[in-house]
Amino acid sequence: VRTTAIRIAGLLTAGVYAGFIVWLYAAQPRNLAEVKGGMAASVGAYTIDRESFDRGLQFFRSDRFAEARSAFQRADPAQRDATTQFYVAYSFLRQGWGRFSRDDELYRQGLAALERAMAASPNGHVRIEDSNLTLKSSDEVRAEFERGLVRDASDLNPMRVFDSRP
Amino acid sequence: MTVEREHSPGSHGAGVDSEIVVTELPRAVTREETQAAVHESFTLPLLFLTVVLAGSLRIGQAPRLSFHPPSLMALVLAVMLLAVLYRAGALVPDALVHPRRTALEKISGLIVLATLFAAAAQVFSLVTPEAGLLAFAFNVVFLVLLGNTLAARPDRSQLLTSLLIIFGAAFVMKFVVLSAVYAPGTGLTKRVVMALFEGITLGTLAFVRPSPATGYIAFGTLALFLIGVAWLPRPHHAPHHPEFRERLPADGPSAPAHLPSSALAPRPAPDPGDR
Repeated sequence: VRTTAIRIAGLLTAGVYAGFIVWLYAAQPRNLAEVKGGMAASVGAYTIDRESFDRGLQFFRSDRFAEARSAFQRADPAQRDATTQFYVAYSFLRQGWGRFSRDDELYRQGLAALERAMAASPNGHVRIEDSNLTLKSSDEVRAEFERGLVRDASDLNPMRVFDSRP
Repeated sequence: MTVEREHSPGSHGAGVDSEIVVTELPRAVTREETQAAVHESFTLPLLFLTVVLAGSLRIGQAPRLSFHPPSLMALVLAVMLLAVLYRAGALVPDALVHPRRTALEKISGLIVLATLFAAAAQVFSLVTPEAGLLAFAFNVVFLVLLGNTLAARPDRSQLLTSLLIIFGAAFVMKFVVLSAVYAPGTGLTKRVVMALFEGITLGTLAFVRPSPATGYIAFGTLALFLIGVAWLPRPHHAPHHPEFRERLPADGPSAPAHLPSSALAPRPAPDPGDR
C-alpha cells in the first residue's frame, strides 16, 4: 500500500510538472511576473493592483499616455487582465493618432496589447462602458488600428483632417 | 503465502487434521522496494523534467525569458541516444516495464522512459546552435558520434564517459568558443572579418549568441542530465527483477517476525520465453 501511494503521488506530481512545462511552451511568458500571473490566472486567482489601475486611468484621461501605461504595467504585471490591456491598447491608439498621420509603431504595439486583452477575456471580446472612450469594444478598436496600419489611396484624402480623435 | 492446519473435532475422534487452508498474507514491503518506488516515481521523473524545463529556458536582455521546445532533429537524436543507452546497458527496460511488474509500476517505468526521452531531446536542443549551417554541422556530428557509439557497443561506464565528452565538447563549442567568436564589438578587424565571412557564406553561419546566464543554466542542466542517466535503474535495483530477488536473504532483510519466510521467498524465475 505504501509503495502504491508513493507511485500514485509520483505520477500526479510528474503530471502536474509536465503540464506546467507544456504551459510554458504554449504561453511563452516573458518574465517571472508573467509566469506567476499566468499560473494564478489558470486557477482563477489572478487580480490586478486596483490602486495602480486607478492611477493609470487618471493619467489616461489626462492624455499622459506613457505614464498611464507605466501605471497599467504595475497594475497588471502579467498582462492577464482584459480591461487593463484594453486601456493599454487604447493609450497606444490615442498616442499614435494624428490629424495628418498615424504612428505605425505605436499602432502595432496597441494592436498587440489589444490581442492580449482579447486573449485574456473569457469570450475573446472586450467591451468597456466608459464615457471617455469613443470606441467601446475590442472590435471597433481593432478596426481602427487596422485602418491606421493600411496604406491606401484614402490616406491622401484631405477630408481626413476633420476626423475626430478616437 | 502460508499453510495452516485447522483442527476440526470430527466424529472419528478429537485432534484429527482434516483440512488445509491456504491464506495469502500481504508481502512485506522491503526498504529497497520503497526506495525503488521513490526513485522511479519522484527522483528520476522530476530530475528529467527539470532538465526539460531548464534546457528549454533562454534568458535574454531585460531579462526576457523564452522557452524553446526541442527541435525535430533533437527528437531523432534522443531516439538514437536511448538506443545507445539500451545497447550499453545503461537503460534496462526490464527494470522499468518488466511484464511481472504491476500496472502502476509499469506506468511509473513508462514515465521514467518518457521523461528521459524528453530530457535527452531537450539536452541536444540546448547544446546545438539555434539555426543555420552551424546547427546542421552540430546535428551531423551528433549523428555520427552516436552511430559510432552504437557500433562500438561500449559498456555502461564507458558510455557515460563518452556522453560526458560529447555533451561537454558541444557545450564548450557553443557556449564558450562560438560565443567568444561572435562576441560583438571587439575590434575593427574582427568585425570586418566576421562581416566578410557572413557575407561569403550568405548568412548561413549566423549564430545567436546565448547570454551568460543561459550558459550557466545550460551547464547545470547538462550535469543534471548526466546524473539522471547514471541513476537509471539497473537490473539489481529493480525489486521484481530476478537478480534483485535473488539478492534477498530467504527471511528478508527487514522481515517482520510474524511473517513466515515463505512470504518473502524469491519469486519463481520467469519463463525464458517470457523474456
